[in-house]
Amino acid sequence: MSAAAQIAVKDLKLRVRDRSAFIFGIVAPLVLAFVFNLVFGSVFDATTGLGLEYGMVDLDQSEISLVFGGVLEEVEADGILTIENYANEASAERAIEDDEIDAYYLIEDGFGEGVVTVGSPTIRVVGDIDAPTSTQIAASIAQQFSIGVEAAQLGIATTAIMTSSQITPQLVGSPSGDPSSAAFSYQLEDVSAATKQLDGTTYFSAAMAIFFLFFTVQFGVLGLLEEERDGTLARLRAAPIGRLSVVGGKAILAFLLGVISMTTLVVATSVPFLLNADWGAPFGVALLVVAGVLSAVGIMGLVASAAKTPEGAGNMGAIIAVVLGMLGGVFFPLGQGDDLLSKLTFLTPHAWFMRGLADLADAAPWTAALPATGALLIFAGITGSIGWVLLRRRLER
Amino acid sequence: MRVLAIGVSNIRRMLRERSNVFFVFIFPIGIILLIGAQFGGGVDPAVGLFWADDGQIARNVVSEIEAIDGIEVFAYETEDDLLSAVELGNVQAGVFLPADMDQRARQGEVVKMGFVARPDGFGAQLQSIVGAAVADVMKPVGAAQFASAETEIPFEQTLAVATGIADNNNGIEVEVSALGEALFPDTLGQFDMGAAQQLVLFVFLTALAGSAALILTRQLGISQRMLSTPTSIGTIVVGESVGRFGVAMVQGLYIMVLTFLIFRVNWGDPIGALLILVTFSAVGAGAGILLGATFKNDQQASGIGVMLSIGLAALGGSMLPLELFGPTLRRVAHLTPHAWALDAFAELVRRGGTTVDILPELGVLSLYAAVLLILAGWRLRIAITRH
Repeated sequence: MSAAAQIAVKDLKLRVRDRSAFIFGIVAPLVLAFVFNLVFGSVFDATTGLGLEYGMVDLDQSEISLVFGGVLEEVEADGILTIENYANEASAERAIEDDEIDAYYLIEDGFGEGVVTVGSPTIRVVGDIDAPTSTQIAASIAQQFSIGVEAAQLGIATTAIMTSSQITPQLVGSPSGDPSSAAFSYQLEDVSAATKQLDGTTYFSAAMAIFFLFFTVQFGVLGLLEEERDGTLARLRAAPIGRLSVVGGKAILAFLLGVISMTTLVVATSVPFLLNADWGAPFGVALLVVAGVLSAVGIMGLVASAAKTPEGAGNMGAIIAVVLGMLGGVFFPLGQGDDLLSKLTFLTPHAWFMRGLADLADAAPWTAALPATGALLIFAGITGSIGWVLLRRRLER
Repeated sequence: MRVLAIGVSNIRRMLRERSNVFFVFIFPIGIILLIGAQFGGGVDPAVGLFWADDGQIARNVVSEIEAIDGIEVFAYETEDDLLSAVELGNVQAGVFLPADMDQRARQGEVVKMGFVARPDGFGAQLQSIVGAAVADVMKPVGAAQFASAETEIPFEQTLAVATGIADNNNGIEVEVSALGEALFPDTLGQFDMGAAQQLVLFVFLTALAGSAALILTRQLGISQRMLSTPTSIGTIVVGESVGRFGVAMVQGLYIMVLTFLIFRVNWGDPIGALLILVTFSAVGAGAGILLGATFKNDQQASGIGVMLSIGLAALGGSMLPLELFGPTLRRVAHLTPHAWALDAFAELVRRGGTTVDILPELGVLSLYAAVLLILAGWRLRIAITRH
């Protein structure tokens, strides 16, 4: 066995005996993924959408109010919302207070009359004050309906002006076309999209795994500084071992610890009935794990090369791991649209790791992970080579 | 006096470490700033927009969508960019306006716009909001198309007439009103909620991180040396507790004062807020010492400390407001001291409560502190004398 491998195996034994790496590498991420999933799972899981639950109080029961009720039932049939009829306002109000519905429509007596004559027909939307979005959606559905009715009216009015005639029932009945067609001058068609986003469980499992990876890897890298502090490094240098082997041994250990920890986490979080995370195509995940671990080894190696003592490196490493993790969106996704934060986040390997897994979502082939893997390898290459040079120079001193 | 000396030296040791200064003083403020900036105004769903037509109708649709309240609109350069932004969740939905929008409208054809959202998002809901805005712009277009078809007068002329009378049209009014008392009133500042959440998270995190320092104190033989002086073990235990408590208080006060000065965070009744901090710091000190007295290896203790402080903070409502938890989870959350402290802050800040109103929460926190400190003292006594 080469000297580097021997050093790595010796250190690995040490780390297994001292259980710290086990706590950082496996226990903490697993427990936190579980807690986060418990707390945020329901919020994160967008499959339930907003769960729009509306009520309808139709005191008018006119032709037009029934048309509106029919429109709502059509939308309900599409699975977008649920609609419950209430006999009066008081019972609908109670339903809001009991959190049974988010908002209700109130159509007062005389509404239908108001639409055909010159009245002031109103659809009232009364919403729970703590459900502003649902209330707004309820209002926009009513608005679309009202605009449709208006478009038809406007079509007839424009025709009347153009032909210099009065709006009479005869005119309304005369056109060759259907005035309500004026409401359908456009379509908002659904374009299908894939889901390149992780479900909640997988997100938190992956986020905690990559967050703690940086701490785990540190146990390997810091070994070099510990040997320096304890005086064993001088003895290693006196032995017939190349300097590369000493640095290499520590790097191999850091890599091994990272891969063991990540693999354990991927397998453990995938267990059905426990977290049941869906990481995606195994080979793609493996690529991301290896590239992710390499980037962590590179970054933590660079930190170690710049520090004077193992404590200093440990502290600086913790700061870097936490800041990169936070910026990389491991606790909450950062940035919206194409704002500055959503660009900054890609300065971290964490964001690329999560992005790679998101690319693998929706049963994508393993090749979908290649761009993110490439980005992670660039991180690893740049930080690792600077760290390598600095550490070698340090050994030569 | 000796108790104080041990306590003060603990605080001094903490402040000398540069990384402590970062985690205790710089990082929490950064997080409060970040979270306030990101979520402070509530999270508005984001909608991406792509348009290739510069005609009047397209421009009207764009400005109408941009004017919608409660959504954030981002423009995209290409269709692919927008589609990929939707797929990655950077925006919740996307709207595509066709290149020949005006032309089709003029020819009396149906204008087809694209709407895209992931199947698992708020797509359908956003579609109705965007749909209402589009419908408003397209109303005179549809009316003009109808009138042109009826009268064979060119579209431009009918559109001009329809647009002219569109607003005088006696349409159906949609009136919106809200029922009940707001959970998060509008007066709640951008940083108010996040600040209290981060305060309890970080005070507890720092207190548990102190366990590693306590282990080092024993490893380096400082406890032994203190014992060899005429200092009783009780004094050492109380001194360590005062030290941990002091660190938590220093950090807590710093966060409160600085966020008040910089972000104008409203902490509510000052006496009430101070009492929450005092009792919660005592809880943190007790937990930190218990952890430090239980473990022998500082790295193990700090791993468990990070796990516990982040986990308890998430469970206790420091990352998601307790009000958004389900009933069962909310009961579980109240096993953590965080939930009680946050309830107390909510009472002070959101409902304008006074110290009297938060007595129950203060009582529970004091009980936590008492139990943890007694346990911690007992364990520490054993740990110090065992060495």
